[in-house]
Amino acid sequence: MNDNLLSDEEIVEKVRSVDQDLFAKIIDRYQDKLLRYSNNLVYNEDHASHIVQDSFIKAFVNLNSFDTKKKFSSWIYRIVHNEAMNMIKKSKKEVPILDDFDFSSEEDVLKDFEQKEIIIKVTKCLNEIPLLYSEPLSLYYLDEKSYEDISDILRIPMGTVATRINRAKVLIKNICQKN
Amino acid sequence: MSKELKNITNIVMNKIHEGKIKMHSRMYFVVGSLLTFVGLVASVLSSIFLIGLIRFSLRSHGPMGEYRMDQLLSSFPWWIAILAVLALIIGIWLLRQYDFSYKIDFKIVLIVFVAVVMVSGWIIDMTGLNDVWFSRGPMPRVMRQYFQENNIQYSPRLNRS
Repeated sequence: MNDNLLSDEEIVEKVRSVDQDLFAKIIDRYQDKLLRYSNNLVYNEDHASHIVQDSFIKAFVNLNSFDTKKKFSSWIYRIVHNEAMNMIKKSKKEVPILDDFDFSSEEDVLKDFEQKEIIIKVTKCLNEIPLLYSEPLSLYYLDEKSYEDISDILRIPMGTVATRINRAKVLIKNICQKN
Repeated sequence: MSKELKNITNIVMNKIHEGKIKMHSRMYFVVGSLLTFVGLVASVLSSIFLIGLIRFSLRSHGPMGEYRMDQLLSSFPWWIAILAVLALIIGIWLLRQYDFSYKIDFKIVLIVFVAVVMVSGWIIDMTGLNDVWFSRGPMPRVMRQYFQENNIQYSPRLNRS
């Protein structure tokens, strides 16, 4: 069977029991996405590259702890998230959480906010909003993760994911329009 | 694919081929999970025992509050408290070590832990299980030694309020 047709979880099973070289397939499948995700967290390509590399190493070492009934993508994203948070804590460059933003009537504001417009603005202004909001937004629009996946990756309830994404959209709109 | 990305694949795969990084065996995680479980259970048990002991000490010195507190502090088995805290810290640390795929909120673990300890301590005290432990269970030697060492007169029935 062609390895390209295998699911992530099936490849992981083979890496664990048959052929460790197949781990390269996993890296090829995820490195682009993870590098972008990581870069959106730390805003530094070198750091992002180290984070992704360390995450793959950590994933390989702990591959036997992965439950193949669950999604591999959420698992590897979670590892990258943890690594990135560790790096942010070390460098103390986390964008502060701004509590004084006005989120009133956000539903009305968002009515005319089209998907494509959001993606362009997200890419452009992501580093200007607090990490608390930029991370779920990046996962949703740039990595095309579902609310459930984001909930698994960030370990927050789905309702919180929805709230943060909505607030992130308001922030993106407010900040990007000023620029 | 950029050079940087190509490098990530090469670096990681080279480390695997050279044996610099090795996959932990399944047994490693099984043992880790067992240790975590044992650590948390030990922590809960020692904390429940601690609560029982505090209540015994408070009751067995009569109504003089100040004296009871001094007596309690001077004769308190701190090693049990330290053991309970250590077991909890090690348990949570192990959970973090082995936690790669499961959604665990450590605040909830801590809240559940404290709730289990408090409720169990209360139930054990209310049902008189402490007395059973003292007379028939696995704890009589430890409890008797504790009371003897601290000159506490203990009578299960008299001590029940």
